[in-house]
Amino acid sequence: MALRDQLRVMVVDDMSTSRGLITNALDSYGIRNVASAADGPSALQKLAAYPVHLVISDYNMPGMDGLQLLHALRSNGQTRGVGFLLITGRADREIIDMGKRLGMNNFLKKPFDPAGLRGAIEAIVGKL
Amino acid sequence: MSDPMAEIRASFFIECEELLESLQDGLQLMDDGDTDPETINIVFRAVHSIKGGAGAFGLDDLVRFAHRFETAMDEVRAGRFHPDGEAIRLFFACADILGDLVRAARDDEQVDDAVTGPVLEKLDKLVGLEEEEEEVLDFTPATLSLDFGDGGGLPDLPDLPDLSALPAADPSEDTLPSLELPADMPAPVAEAAMESTAKGFTVHFKPENALYASGNEPLYLFRALRDLGDISVTCHCGDLPDLDQLDPDTGHLSWNLTVHTEEAEQAVREVFEFVDGLCVLEIKPLTGGGAMVAPAPAPALVVEQAVEIAAPEAAPLAAPQKPQVSTEAAPAPTPKPAPVAKLPVGSDDDTIDAAPKDEKTAPSVPAKATGTPTQPRATVRVDLERIDRLVNLVGELVINQAMLSQSVTEAGLPPNSPVSTGLEEFLQLTRDIQESVMMIRAQPIKSLFQRMGRIVRESSASVGKEVRLYTDGENTEVDKTVIERLADPLTHMIRNAVDHGLESTEKRLESGKSREGHVTLTAQHRSGRIVIEVSDDGAGINRERVKQKAIEKELIPADAQLSDSDIDNLLFLPGFSTAAEISNLSGRGVGMDVVKSSIQALGGRISITSHEGKGTTFSISLPLTLAVLDGMVVRVADETLVVPLNAILETLTLTDDDLKALGPETHVVQIRGGFVPLLDLGAELGYRKPQDSYVGGIVLLIGQEDGNRAALAVDAIEDQRQVVIKGLEGSYGRVPGIAAATILGDGQIALILDPTDLVGQASGRTRVRQPQQALVG
Repeated sequence: MALRDQLRVMVVDDMSTSRGLITNALDSYGIRNVASAADGPSALQKLAAYPVHLVISDYNMPGMDGLQLLHALRSNGQTRGVGFLLITGRADREIIDMGKRLGMNNFLKKPFDPAGLRGAIEAIVGKL
Repeated sequence: MSDPMAEIRASFFIECEELLESLQDGLQLMDDGDTDPETINIVFRAVHSIKGGAGAFGLDDLVRFAHRFETAMDEVRAGRFHPDGEAIRLFFACADILGDLVRAARDDEQVDDAVTGPVLEKLDKLVGLEEEEEEVLDFTPATLSLDFGDGGGLPDLPDLPDLSALPAADPSEDTLPSLELPADMPAPVAEAAMESTAKGFTVHFKPENALYASGNEPLYLFRALRDLGDISVTCHCGDLPDLDQLDPDTGHLSWNLTVHTEEAEQAVREVFEFVDGLCVLEIKPLTGGGAMVAPAPAPALVVEQAVEIAAPEAAPLAAPQKPQVSTEAAPAPTPKPAPVAKLPVGSDDDTIDAAPKDEKTAPSVPAKATGTPTQPRATVRVDLERIDRLVNLVGELVINQAMLSQSVTEAGLPPNSPVSTGLEEFLQLTRDIQESVMMIRAQPIKSLFQRMGRIVRESSASVGKEVRLYTDGENTEVDKTVIERLADPLTHMIRNAVDHGLESTEKRLESGKSREGHVTLTAQHRSGRIVIEVSDDGAGINRERVKQKAIEKELIPADAQLSDSDIDNLLFLPGFSTAAEISNLSGRGVGMDVVKSSIQALGGRISITSHEGKGTTFSISLPLTLAVLDGMVVRVADETLVVPLNAILETLTLTDDDLKALGPETHVVQIRGGFVPLLDLGAELGYRKPQDSYVGGIVLLIGQEDGNRAALAVDAIEDQRQVVIKGLEGSYGRVPGIAAATILGDGQIALILDPTDLVGQASGRTRVRQPQQALVG
């Protein structure tokens, strides 16, 4: 069984367009176990019931941004070890440094193409 | 299925419209002096999100502009730039252009650089920012080692990734860097989300056979319980005998439920009221809170739940995995005792406690996922055509229902026969369906008002006036078609208000008014119609000049005696233009007459009130829907007509005392001390000559928007019913006094009157001139 068949992913983005794009890209390389959430809090809630290996989250979201979500994930026993890929429009040093300290696994700058996303995921979980 | 990317692209543009709306809202708040960082954040995020999406679709023009706008907003957000009124006006202009670019990208069009260039230049000058080079950041991705086990079953998720593989400092709770979290979002949200308030009950429920025998269904009870609060349900199947010993008529299942509710125990008991004595029921208050109810860490349960919830998301894969789940997961060691085991449920306890038996423990009802209140309500985007088809079908249903009613009446069935009562219910349902369908078509008028904001900004700039738009009732819901077709007339009215209604700044200051002119746009529901008002606090209509102009243009005779409102209404005459010199704004060949006819085409009316020195208000009144109306079916001169019910104040039978002759050809009707002109509907529509006498005749008292009334004489009132509006204008153009047509229950076509138009054009002849009578005699 290939990695892509077993990998479970949660996509978090407040824009349904972005969720659609990411899910579509994941689908194109065979990752089908994908859940999605429109904001951090609902992502955390869903994760409690649907644990995943990798969270792909937007940075700029209302209420709780991507790094705050990461913080919440790392603070919780059940989710602290989950992989985390941050998608951000601006790769500021500030954001990336904070991400590093929180244990972000990788980041991807917008705009990206499916190949770019695949690369960023494979850098975390290995060849799909 | 069509191309998924095309679909995502289409939904991106719809999402953009929403973002543009919140962008406008945010800017408006900033303009009103709101300095809340979240407001600025909303504005920033809207631009940012549009840029992000545009980037994904390679919409370069949009990205370029959004990027500059975003950069400027980022300066504001960071507190490095404090926008003043001028800056916010520029931001509004940027938002408008951003909207143009989005729509241009959607329709594969180009926006001229001449439009974007100057604004961008101003933006850079204002914020004073050069394009910054983004530094290249060094970042080494941190790999996860994923151990999926050997069986290919679902991985043991919680322990799966090796934390030591992370290159950064061990991200345990102690060493996690502090991060500012939103006040309403405590860090361990996940735990918080899982934890319950301690309030609630545990319920043990074991139905006896008699419960099933009397037609009760446990699932319905659980659903009723779910209405009290979040519940978790565990089915206990330990008592199930082997298949060969199974008696299909005997129940073997029992349930343990946890319900989190603020309600008292009584409320929980009431759920089981009807099965009292038919089951074993134990209800105990929840103690200890969280531990009881946190999703069980026991793998079997978690995994089962995960699959339950994952099913709709990843159905094709989740489903076949299900059998694996029970077999693979069951022997897994239980890190903690399953929480359900703590339930004080009596003798069956052991069967739940033991992990291996968990395979039989199927959570039959997944706890209801309660959406967080902050989340927007779920919506579905539907092609408008589909809704229109539905509207048409409902229209046909209304006609069909009317025909059926008619047949039933003709068949001579008594009113209390089952068919008649059934039909009555059918009628009610038809109405409910119709109302619901109309509600689908309705949308807040906000989008239209926001477009008017832009018109005010642009038009005030071009005539050099300072104008502020106030809006009220933005959430008033109006039929989508009405909103679309209102855009042009409203645009013109707003331009008019800015250009003609408001005085120049100097004049305003002279007359002691504020520098800034005010234009107010309101919408509200009023007695089954929507009333939209455009008002300004300008000088009011210069009636002297209006009259002079009308005389010059030979629209009225030089010696005409006109009331103030008559003069105001001259503005609606074709070919009338008041501005002494036509400005570059309103003088676009569109007069108020065009506005009036487009409002009329929507079944609406428009009226003016003006006060000298204080301003002018245009009031548009529109029907809620364009598809059906409640009407009174009347007969006159052997013709059947429909009069809109909302125009009829009352109906009465005339007596000799009510009727007074006035002038050579007209009558008035005396109603409660007032006099109302009498109009003969038959004569007004040319069906017949005025009658000899109207004593004993039936009249409909018609009320109009402006408060004027008229009595409309008809021969008989036949029915009061809902009719489907079928437009006539496509085939016949505008017919004076007639709004539309409809199909009655017997298949006959009847005209729907436009009472206001009819009264406005009425001759009022209800008597034949004496000489004619003499001739006849």
